[in-house]
Amino acid sequence: MKSWKVAGLTILACAATGAALGGAMVVFGWYDVSATGSHTVVVHEVLDVAQTRSVQRRAAGIQVPYLDEPRKAREGYGLFQKHCVQCHGAPGIAPDPYALGLNPAPAALVATARDRTAADIYWIIQQGIKMTGMPAWQYRLTDADIWNIVAFMRVLPTLSPADYRNWDKGNEQEPGLEAATPVPATRAGDPVAGRAALQQHLCATCHVIPGIAGARHHVGPSLAGIAQRPYIAGGVPNTPASMERWLRDPAAFKPGTAMPDLGLGAQEARDIAAFLYTLPPVD
Amino acid sequence: MLLGACGDDRPALTPPGLPEQLAGADSARGRLLLAERGCLACHTVPSLSGPASQVGPALDQVPRRAYLGGWLPNTPDNLVRWLLDPSAINPLTAMPDTGLTPEEARDIAAFLLGRP
Repeated sequence: MKSWKVAGLTILACAATGAALGGAMVVFGWYDVSATGSHTVVVHEVLDVAQTRSVQRRAAGIQVPYLDEPRKAREGYGLFQKHCVQCHGAPGIAPDPYALGLNPAPAALVATARDRTAADIYWIIQQGIKMTGMPAWQYRLTDADIWNIVAFMRVLPTLSPADYRNWDKGNEQEPGLEAATPVPATRAGDPVAGRAALQQHLCATCHVIPGIAGARHHVGPSLAGIAQRPYIAGGVPNTPASMERWLRDPAAFKPGTAMPDLGLGAQEARDIAAFLYTLPPVD
Repeated sequence: MLLGACGDDRPALTPPGLPEQLAGADSARGRLLLAERGCLACHTVPSLSGPASQVGPALDQVPRRAYLGGWLPNTPDNLVRWLLDPSAINPLTAMPDTGLTPEEARDIAAFLLGRP
């Protein structure tokens, strides 16, 4: 009985010491967050396993379409050159200089294509990975675009550097590929979708937004209680329609405004407006 | 609020204005002017009681705001410009010209920026 108690107390003491040390790491700034300071091998391994398992778990239900149509890889090649090669490089092509300083280092996608499943890669492109520099492309690319990139990545490990550079010579891209047709809004604004879209357009880097992590900056006005405000942009009546238009093209309302055009789609703007109108008056 | 800010009294790279700007302005008079000139009809101000109007933005975070009228960098001198002629800064604005004298605008700016 007594030894059981001693064991219990020892475990408690160890846990308390661990928690105190962990807390001290945070409060006193002991942990090195610089991108030049590598994680230790153990920490890196733990994060890598956690990330791999997390992706596998979430991608498990994804249905992979047929990827071997030449058209898909061809379109994926254009998107890959436009959006991926800057950070990831390609056969014979280094990432851009800024990307060399990223930590964790952007994966060489030939290795990714060799190691990961189509569903996992699709999920990673769509959802991104927190604190790695890998962005979520869900709001920038359509599902079809993302699958086209996956289709091209299937070809990628088979290409020599010269093959990669000249790949489009024998695979002429169809004209108008880049010009995506605008997608109209098709349903009423959904605050839940709007919350997600808002986080994906970096609104939190400039505005106070109650309930959004990190949204505590005053570059733009606080969005707390925006539903109660009669005006937006300083003098435009605050209606759902004007809010949508403002979000999609601020400079059209107010030339010279510091609020940028973030490339929102019509449905995203409608959803974000719906979310903004749920915000409480006080942060 | 932030752990990183605890006990750190080093200045920001770009602080919101220099002490000599608005030198001699009377912050206490500025506070009274906010009440006298009808500012509270549209704005809420933390230390003044009023109708809690939401027509214009709340004025509790003026020192931290990056822009005035949506684009003009928020400095003491620009805040005075804004108060004297809002529609010169933002032609769309619902904020009226309240007929302040330059001295009154400086007093109000001193109060809004939390000057002593």
